[in-house]
Amino acid sequence: MTSILLNALQYLGYILIFPGFLFCFVCGMLLCGIDRKLVARMQKRVGPPILQPFYDFFKLCGKETIIPDAASRTTFLAAPLVGLAALVVIQLFVPIHGFSAFYGMADVIVILYLLLIPALASILGAAASGSPYAGIGLSREMVTIISCELPLVLILLAIAKTVGNALGTGLCFSLSAIADYQLVHGSLITKARMIPAAIAMLLVIPGETGNHPFDAAEAETEICEGMLAEYSGGPLAVFKLSHAVKMLTLTSLFVALFLGGVGTGITAVDGVVVFILCVIVTAVSISFVHAVTARLKIEQIFKYYWTVVSGLALVSLVLAWYGL
Amino acid sequence: MSMLNYHHFPIYSIMVLFFGAFLIAAIGGRDIAKNRKTTGVRAFIPLLATAASLAFLIALIKPVMLGGEVIAYWMGSRGISNGYAIGIALEVDALSLFFALLIATALFVSAVYSIKYMEHDDNIGQYYILYCMLGGGVLGLVLSGDIFNMFIMVEILTFAAVALTAFRTKVYGALEAAFKYLVVGCMGSTLILTGVIMLYAQYHTLNLAQLAALIPGTMNNATKLAFALLYIGFSTKAFIVPFHPLAADAHGAAPASISVLISGVLTKSGIYGIIRLTYFLFQTMELGAMQFMLVFVGSVSMFVCVTMALAQHDFKRLLAFHSISQIGYVLAAVGLSTALGISAGLYHAMNHTLFKGLLFLAAGAVLHETGTTDLGKLGGLSKKMPHTTVLFLIGAFSISGVPPFNGFASKWMIYQATYQKAVETGNIGFLLVTIIALITSVLTLASFVKVSQSVFFGQLPAEYENVKEVPFGMRLAMGILAVLCVITGLVPQLVTRYLTEPAARAVFRVGDYISSMGFASQTPAPAVSFAQVGVWEPISWLLILCIALLAVTIVAVAGKYDRVSVRSSETVDTKYQLFYGGEDNFHSQVGGGDLFWGFKHNWRHYFSFMHDLHSGIVNDYALWAVVALALSIVFVMIVL
Repeated sequence: MTSILLNALQYLGYILIFPGFLFCFVCGMLLCGIDRKLVARMQKRVGPPILQPFYDFFKLCGKETIIPDAASRTTFLAAPLVGLAALVVIQLFVPIHGFSAFYGMADVIVILYLLLIPALASILGAAASGSPYAGIGLSREMVTIISCELPLVLILLAIAKTVGNALGTGLCFSLSAIADYQLVHGSLITKARMIPAAIAMLLVIPGETGNHPFDAAEAETEICEGMLAEYSGGPLAVFKLSHAVKMLTLTSLFVALFLGGVGTGITAVDGVVVFILCVIVTAVSISFVHAVTARLKIEQIFKYYWTVVSGLALVSLVLAWYGL
Repeated sequence: MSMLNYHHFPIYSIMVLFFGAFLIAAIGGRDIAKNRKTTGVRAFIPLLATAASLAFLIALIKPVMLGGEVIAYWMGSRGISNGYAIGIALEVDALSLFFALLIATALFVSAVYSIKYMEHDDNIGQYYILYCMLGGGVLGLVLSGDIFNMFIMVEILTFAAVALTAFRTKVYGALEAAFKYLVVGCMGSTLILTGVIMLYAQYHTLNLAQLAALIPGTMNNATKLAFALLYIGFSTKAFIVPFHPLAADAHGAAPASISVLISGVLTKSGIYGIIRLTYFLFQTMELGAMQFMLVFVGSVSMFVCVTMALAQHDFKRLLAFHSISQIGYVLAAVGLSTALGISAGLYHAMNHTLFKGLLFLAAGAVLHETGTTDLGKLGGLSKKMPHTTVLFLIGAFSISGVPPFNGFASKWMIYQATYQKAVETGNIGFLLVTIIALITSVLTLASFVKVSQSVFFGQLPAEYENVKEVPFGMRLAMGILAVLCVITGLVPQLVTRYLTEPAARAVFRVGDYISSMGFASQTPAPAVSFAQVGVWEPISWLLILCIALLAVTIVAVAGKYDRVSVRSSETVDTKYQLFYGGEDNFHSQVGGGDLFWGFKHNWRHYFSFMHDLHSGIVNDYALWAVVALALSIVFVMIVL
């Protein structure tokens, strides 16, 4: 009886503290703060303090929440919460150097689909607000999702094939098996044939999180933050938090897929190492790209992802397929 | 045998429907005076008939699905004489029963829905007569053990479906759609009849089991031609490419309760015919070329139809194209000729009946209340029809493959099956199918985002201010399907163990199918494996999500998340209006056709090509049918 209770408590701890909520909240917000600081420095600005996202979050929470007359109230209010919860659950499935809170419950294809849920939550929330700006925003968000889907699929299939070849099964979708493979064979990024896929994944991350230059869906200057146009107060704070957590989720997914390897075995140390790797990935794929580019139009985003980025991923897939 | 012996149940399940049709006719098919009492009785008869039919089939699950029995049932006291099957037989294996269960479920739910939905139509008696005929026809088709009876049933269902398509003759395009369906549908039926005749001329038997015992190994040019004719004939019933434009027209014009049947029932009968033809009668699926044919047609169907759906601006036409797109998944998976592939394909066929039925019923609900299905005119209905919105969203999530709904469970199996096949055969083409299937899935999501934005969310046009929620009977029908969508998504292991795996195993047990009827069979059943490479535990995931959601909600509520300003009813406060950058509030809903411009712009050449191709002229579609027939004859002659 006590063991069941302890088990339940342990899992609750996973969900609420590490690698669940508290971890997501703190690390996501820190990642966001570091990103803002880095972009500012690259653009020769002083930039906000690293803790600025925390201040923003708590300030927003204290503000009034306004629901427009045209909105469908329940969907409007529930969407941010569902999106955040779904993101945290994905984070639980991403292994941290061999440590995985929920072992063997979902594979990479499932993760691909679980990533749709937060996006879908924000889309439905935006649709429920009734704003025409949100209408344009959600349309662009959906096109961005379609754009990112093809390269992501190709990357994941390339990884599945590479790992499967080594395991002798031909293909492998399991995240934990991918982590185990990297324990033995070294990080996937060290394999020459996976480098194009890794570059493609680095380019997919800003698209998935909606960062510059792939932020046509938000585009403050044209469509007033699009999907967030009617959001205020607490719900807006949750959306901002979700954005930060999404950055953490995608960068840690990148770390799990490409930068895995031998951990120290101490979860806390591994957690810190993974976070540092996440910061580096963020710096490369989000901050640097943000600092040097201007916003793309939505049709350019689509074209870019389905030609350049997909092309890179396809190179890896073909190389993996023929075992080169 | 006692009357209640389960060997009689297949024929009972068909008979009750035809009997129901005659009973309604006996009461009086024509409404002379609008008599509410007889209308109620007429609606009740099909309800009872479909429920009885479903009950008989459910009772067969235990012996056929779990016990692996193949029920061979001779009508009258006929049987085998001088080595030839004389007389009409039914033969029910797990595959037949699987399809019959899907069909009976859709028939029952749609009958529940029809009570309120068709209430205000004229000639309701005729509607229900045709409804029962259609149901009986399709059930007869999948349970028949005799190829000529399959043709008879195809005729019955085609004519009932054509008449029902044009049932609301005053709807714009209804007669035209029915005419197109009639022309191409008749071509299909004629091809099936010709194929049957050619087989009879060669083998002097019409019994499916006996044909399956005789044909493999003795194929000549005449039987090959018969194969091509039957294949194209059943393709027209499944509406796969190049017959998809007919489905779009028919669905757009037919009452929603009939669209459910056309998409959930008629297309399934076509798929069933193709499986019987390829796996049983001719046993050709070991050939790589035949696998290529089915997988290729399936992939083309799924991709072409999903892009066609993205370009639609009518709710029901959009659903119609998605219907064929999902059938493409089924065909591609079934064509893999692996146990996992067939199991995945059948699982998806079942899910398709459930979620597409739900979506069509939701479209019908919108039509019932607002009088239109034009995505450009609707908007904001979620405030007026909250239950329909939730039910629609469940259907939309299911078809788009959002976990944990049923569409995800089956599509995810299809991805694994195609990728496994690619690895096993080393053929990169199957890998392409995996990629197409994954992309089709996200495009499906996109078009349902479009529907939810332009029908249920966004701004409510002034003319729909007084729209009400649909009656309880219609919500009940949608609710049944929605619950089934969720359940079949949450317990994929149970669905595969009790339904799809027995059916998939039956596909490989051709020998049992032949010997149960009393003929000698040389085909040993191969060992099959349903092993999957992926892992997915929907219930655990849902549990974690619920805990996480609860935690978020508690924190949010504790943090005064719902500190919503309350609007006083007297004052007009602009802060509660939508933001227009300082302009006055005005209606500015983004129309469905204008969404996803960024995607369509890049594909403009493809879309304009497709637009020109789908001319809407029935002559063109008949020509496509002829071309498809010619191609398949050439293909079959070369590879078989």
